[in-house]
Amino acid sequence: MLFARIWHLVRGKKRQPTGTLMLRQVQRLRDEGRYRRAAGLVDEALLHDPSSVVGHLLAASLHMVLRETGQARTSFERVLALEPTQPRALLGLARVELEDGEAAACCALLNRALARYPDFPEARALLEVAQELLATAEATRDATSTGAVYADRLRLPVESREALFMRADATVIVAEPHGPRTDAVAAHAVKLATVATAMLGRAGLGPLRHAVIEGAAETTYLRRDDAALLTLSFDRDVKSATALEHLERMWRRCRSELA
Amino acid sequence: MSTTAVVARPADGRDLRAVLAELLKLKHIIGGLVVAPDGLVIAANLPREVQAEPLSALVAALGRELELRGPRLRRGTFPTAVFASVSGSAFLGNTPVGYIVLLGEPRADWDVVRSGLRGALGTVYRAWAG
Repeated sequence: MLFARIWHLVRGKKRQPTGTLMLRQVQRLRDEGRYRRAAGLVDEALLHDPSSVVGHLLAASLHMVLRETGQARTSFERVLALEPTQPRALLGLARVELEDGEAAACCALLNRALARYPDFPEARALLEVAQELLATAEATRDATSTGAVYADRLRLPVESREALFMRADATVIVAEPHGPRTDAVAAHAVKLATVATAMLGRAGLGPLRHAVIEGAAETTYLRRDDAALLTLSFDRDVKSATALEHLERMWRRCRSELA
Repeated sequence: MSTTAVVARPADGRDLRAVLAELLKLKHIIGGLVVAPDGLVIAANLPREVQAEPLSALVAALGRELELRGPRLRRGTFPTAVFASVSGSAFLGNTPVGYIVLLGEPRADWDVVRSGLRGALGTVYRAWAG
């Protein structure tokens, strides 16, 4: 009898916490910013309960925070296999699709979420962006080139490493240097401008007109209106006042060429 | 101003709400938020008319886009960026735990805000690296 009670105590001490308790601990670790430990524990919790929607959602969220998009996708897909209209999974997977440049797939997921939960402001905000990106991609496909403007006619600043002037639909007008990736860079610049404009709109500010983006080796300056977009990249040691002067001068020339 | 806080942290360099509160003292800054890369709001102090959740979803999308491809399809970190309209600017800072966004009036000075933001990013990096 005594042995049985001791055995029960030992077993009790060694018993794994239940799935719910483990997930609560994962949430606590996440809130404390201990993401790796939280990710390890959620994996363990999911071994005990592979059909836990909360567990897979937590795993997906942790993968996103750790910038592991591929694994986040898998976790979101697992949630949706268990609960096809889970709103956070639909939103999360839509974000992954947007990141991967799949605007149509992003729209489909967000529409699914909004059909079930019409009052879902995050989904609506992302859907507006994805729809605009889709429309831009279609416009670019339909666009016919009106002929490139020669970069030397625009007198690009000597300090500039790269210059790119395009229409709002990402049709390239000037690219210096021009290479096989130019169209992809232009499409990406338009995507950035679209997301930034949506963000500014949601912040109660107007559409994007200027941007300065610092990189590891260079700083990119962006100028935009509803019809066109210009980006100039400079080494980081070029003063921002100088770069901004060049940007404005180039912008005026580019816009007059476009007109 | 409306305040939202999802993550409760003890006070030190890891307290992102305190980091944000300090940054909000910069001249001509009217609000701000800290957003995790999954779009979750960590801390927010925004003008009453601005909803935190849709803004955070877009901040996370923009932040990830800049992290993944930069402005020129070059993968790498971006320390800071500013996106400006005629009626104001959004200043963005990148940290391992998420993105710090400050909303500024048109008069907000990029160099001043960038300097403040860089200081805050350094504090966050040091605190969360340990």
